[in-house]
Amino acid sequence: MSAATLPHEPRATLAMERWEARRRWARAGIVYVVMLLFSLLFLGPLLFAALSSLKTDPLAYPPRIAIPQLSPANWAAAARLGRAGARASLWGGFAPGADVPFELTYFVPDGTEAAPPTVTVPRRRPGGGLGAVQSVRYAADHAAVVPPREVGREAGSATVRGEQVAGTFVTYRVRVRYVGDGPTLDHLPIDAEAPSRTQAFVRSTLPPTRLERLGLVASYDNVAPGVLGYVFNNYRRVFEEARSVTTGRSLFLSWTASSFIIAIAKVLSTLLFASMAGYALARLRFPGRGVIFVLVLFAQMIPVQVIFISNYLVLKGGIFGLSRLWGQATLLNSLTGVVLSGLVGAGAVFIMKQFFESIPREIEEAAMIDGTNQWQRFSRVVLPMARPALGALTILTFQGAWNDFFWPLVVLTTPEDIKTLPIGLLTFRNVYGTTGDWGLILAGAVMSALPIIVLFVVFQRYFLEGVSYGGTKE
Amino acid sequence: MGMRRREFAAAYLFLAPFLVTLGIFFLFATARAVYFSFTNYDLFNAPTWVGLRNYAELFRDDLFLTALRNSLVFAAVVTTVQTFGALVMAAVLNQRIRGLDFFRAAFYMPSITSSVVITLIFLWMYQRRGLFNYLGTQFLAYLPLLGVFLLAVALLQAAQVLYERSRRLPARWGDPALLVVSLLVAAGITWALVFYGVIAPREVRPVDFVWLQTRREVPGAFPGFLRAPVPLLAIMLQNVFTTIPTFMLMFLAALQDVPAAHYEAASLDGATPVQQFFYITIPAVQPVTFLVVTLGLIGTLQMFDQVAIFGNAVPLKSVITLAYFVYNRMFPGAQLPEVGFASAAAMFLAALTLVIVLLQRLFIRSEGRR
Amino acid sequence: MTKIRNLLMALAALTLSAALAQTTVRVQGYGGGDPAIVQRLIDEVIGSDLAKQGITIKYEPIETDYNAVLTNALSAGTAGDVFYIPGETAPGIIATGKVLPLNGLVDTTPFIDSLMSVYTVGGKVYGIPKDFNTLAVFYNKDIFDAAGVAYPTADDDWNSFADKLKKVSQMEPDIHGACLPADFARMGAFAYANGWTPFQADGSANLLDPAFRQAFDFYTGLVRDGVAVQPSDVGAGWPGDCLAHEQAAVAIEGAWILGFLRDNAPNLQYGSTLLPKSPNTGTSGNFIYTVAWGVNADSPVRDAAVKVLQALTSPEAQQFILEQGLAIPSRKSLADNPYFKQDTPEAQGNLTVFDGATHGNVLGFQFGSVGTDYMTPINNALNEVMTGQSDAGAALQQAQQDLESLLQRSQN
Repeated sequence: MSAATLPHEPRATLAMERWEARRRWARAGIVYVVMLLFSLLFLGPLLFAALSSLKTDPLAYPPRIAIPQLSPANWAAAARLGRAGARASLWGGFAPGADVPFELTYFVPDGTEAAPPTVTVPRRRPGGGLGAVQSVRYAADHAAVVPPREVGREAGSATVRGEQVAGTFVTYRVRVRYVGDGPTLDHLPIDAEAPSRTQAFVRSTLPPTRLERLGLVASYDNVAPGVLGYVFNNYRRVFEEARSVTTGRSLFLSWTASSFIIAIAKVLSTLLFASMAGYALARLRFPGRGVIFVLVLFAQMIPVQVIFISNYLVLKGGIFGLSRLWGQATLLNSLTGVVLSGLVGAGAVFIMKQFFESIPREIEEAAMIDGTNQWQRFSRVVLPMARPALGALTILTFQGAWNDFFWPLVVLTTPEDIKTLPIGLLTFRNVYGTTGDWGLILAGAVMSALPIIVLFVVFQRYFLEGVSYGGTKE
Repeated sequence: MGMRRREFAAAYLFLAPFLVTLGIFFLFATARAVYFSFTNYDLFNAPTWVGLRNYAELFRDDLFLTALRNSLVFAAVVTTVQTFGALVMAAVLNQRIRGLDFFRAAFYMPSITSSVVITLIFLWMYQRRGLFNYLGTQFLAYLPLLGVFLLAVALLQAAQVLYERSRRLPARWGDPALLVVSLLVAAGITWALVFYGVIAPREVRPVDFVWLQTRREVPGAFPGFLRAPVPLLAIMLQNVFTTIPTFMLMFLAALQDVPAAHYEAASLDGATPVQQFFYITIPAVQPVTFLVVTLGLIGTLQMFDQVAIFGNAVPLKSVITLAYFVYNRMFPGAQLPEVGFASAAAMFLAALTLVIVLLQRLFIRSEGRR
Repeated sequence: MTKIRNLLMALAALTLSAALAQTTVRVQGYGGGDPAIVQRLIDEVIGSDLAKQGITIKYEPIETDYNAVLTNALSAGTAGDVFYIPGETAPGIIATGKVLPLNGLVDTTPFIDSLMSVYTVGGKVYGIPKDFNTLAVFYNKDIFDAAGVAYPTADDDWNSFADKLKKVSQMEPDIHGACLPADFARMGAFAYANGWTPFQADGSANLLDPAFRQAFDFYTGLVRDGVAVQPSDVGAGWPGDCLAHEQAAVAIEGAWILGFLRDNAPNLQYGSTLLPKSPNTGTSGNFIYTVAWGVNADSPVRDAAVKVLQALTSPEAQQFILEQGLAIPSRKSLADNPYFKQDTPEAQGNLTVFDGATHGNVLGFQFGSVGTDYMTPINNALNEVMTGQSDAGAALQQAQQDLESLLQRSQN
């Protein structure tokens, strides 16, 4: 701040330069901060949703960032329990020879006797809805509980109904053993019921899945989860519980496969047919060229709601009976139907036409003198030059096909495994939204976003180029 | 002669797949939709001709009128906000700094995931015990601190600028270096005040704003017919969130073509960044603006996904749009399909889109002829 | 000679393969908690018998809006061979003409008459009801014990019921008396208790009837007075959710809540009782929800489909379902089954729901050809009053107008 005021010119200029430099640095700094804030704004919801997809109850209020699934102490405990349960510290389980120790701490106010809780292994299915369909093996059929023993005491005080009360924290350890021989099970649920309402549950080796009966019973869905089984419980459930009734395969994988098939088929067909059509419109002279060009523009503006009714009926009839050639009476509820009804879009043709028009004619004319025919000229000379546009078009088409919602919703209704990922997620929301199982829904949403995010990070340049291709070439 | 015929044949061979697709799935489809709109068809029995009755009944159906209102309000608000927001963000992002690629990728992330993913995430955040209400509660609780902080920043900045001006340095009100100092000192002052207990976050009742299960409308937003229901507002916020990045990239590409010399010359002449924005940036991206507005209008008038995904979490009348109305009449739950009615509504939607796009084309063209 | 021998061998092979040929019958039903029931039925009870007859079942539950998908599929010809026909949309589905009349193909006498009448149109039977449900009061014993309030009983009338709920709700701010949705499918039971019916003799509907208004005021009054809450108020999707998370002491639901509680609140100590009586008429009211199996009229495997339908509604199938506590059978013969005498909360819950069908003014959950759209104006009125946005008089006036225009439009 010590800018010299007057006379000496060189000193004043130097000070001015320093002042200007300071301003530039500050400006850069502020720009970075603003950018970071914007990034937080746009990425925030996604990141927070990803974090919340780990929670047992994402609607717990107030929403926390420090959740039990992210605490290293719990990771160590989960690994330990998983090892004890099935010698699998990653995914846990309950196998023959298991001896799982689990500790529960209760607060006993002064003046009452501490008594051990009653621990049982309930005969319970994991999750409702889609998860309840498969026949399940129950841990209760193979488990024996060694009654809890006291292993520690500590004097202290706790807040009970708003008042500080003196008492003791008593820790009990219970062991669950696998009896005899049998299959390895995924889950080992237990219920711990306190002996009376005065003895309050404080903590346990792993936090309970839910506290029931006004705090009397601590219920655990799996006490031998393993690290990954504990942290990514909801993701594991998405794969294991959402299974098709008919084939028993994971619905999520079926949906992803459907999406991939449709997207790849669409990309291939669009690349080929759009570049052919764009080349014809850009380079060749023929009657009706203007009309077709107008149609291309017009087709981009028609709302899909106008054409879907007829297209639905066309697919229902198997495209005028064509599908009978390969034995299908109707193309509804089939991936073939979705692909055939969207082989090449007018937008893609428009992009390729614009691009081909920007290629200088001299190159083509050189090839023409060599005596090549149209197709050779197109495929050997022009097409290789179109790589940037094709790259952008690939990404645009893939993204569009992967995220397409409306048309697959109309065409693919039953059975569940034929659906694509976006409409499969809608099924998820319908099934689990009513039971309030938001963890599962968020986990499904995050997992379905991952493939396209990975593709985006790798092929970023093409994504961003594709946007500008679709945009500025007017 | 032979060559021209060959060119003619080659052209149509090249165009064949596209023309077949276009013919069956666009032209034939549009023609049939027009035909159906004059019939009474329920998919189980053959269509019967009823003339203009569908169109007449359309305007007497209050679900249709509600859908029309929702679509118009949605299109107007979202297009305006997203165009302006995208332009401002592109102007801000138009910096020559390192790491711009990371930021561009970060901003663009919401646009690449499917609408289902974003809608499900927002559906969860809009719950009464969800993130938005929580942030609202936190904002209200920390309001005194925020107020004190902003006041301190303003005072410190003013003081510094006046000081520098008295030393005859050309300091502007928004001078960055002084701003950094102001921010840091103000933060320190606020922290000190909290530490000594002079001010503290208030105890407020948790904000319990009902975003979804309500038929209330945003008061005073628009007059009479054009009022926005609260759930529609929720969808608007979400839509803007996903579409601003795409359009921002388009603007950015156009802005990168504007030579930096223009801006430098302007700032030498004493133009503020805001003036530069209005007199250099906006005219430079005029063609892209036109495109963004067109795409925005077309896209918002056809909004469907969010309504289908929100489903029974919101009252139908509060979010139904023309696109969803068509789908709903075509595949209603408890009744037989009303194909004729749905087709008439679809034709209306197409006509509306065309009219609005043409109108804005005229408007922006006339503006641009400077 | 060789030619004839070859011909005979070919013929023999053909007949053998025909005998071994498997017919596949596609079965479609609800999603949610239902596939578990149907799949177990197919796997454990009826699958092997049908396999001996050369029939395999391909089961495709529909997880999204069942009615929309079914109508869509019926028109497209892609519907299953055997599918659910929900009671409330039966008139619409039957009107498409794609449902096979079952007269003469299936014996309908063993099934409860009031359920059969839902699926009989013009003397023809279009579906065999597979089970039914009614509403009952499910309450959390722990909360009532902690508040020192007596459990609700079948002898309660609306006022004493409200009293008990009020005392419970005063115990703690986070625990409410009851969880009541803004849904006519629940509130209607109270209107029926007061003697109101959805359609009067001339086919019109009257929401301004004092009997309806009294029930409406009672139901919404519980929420307005803070004794009860709507599920969305506490972040729950439906009252079963409320009950499972111990946010409310009472939920009025059907037997479908039992499976949900088994999975989501396995240790909950709950009891069940019949709905309280109206102080005016001295009786309670209830809905009967029922779903039937029907056969696709266009099915290419019609005979096999009818056999599957018979297997799905056979006495063995219904006995299995009852003993597993999955649903309440529609056969008259199972009313005295020893299952109902078990002492578990689930068995008693099922018994209460079963009794609900014969106590008080019980009407089928059906609204003629206008279907479930009938409820929409009433639900809107309920929501407006329960969230305090409107008063009952104005809301019901609006609802009456909307309902009248709805009924008029459906008659065109």
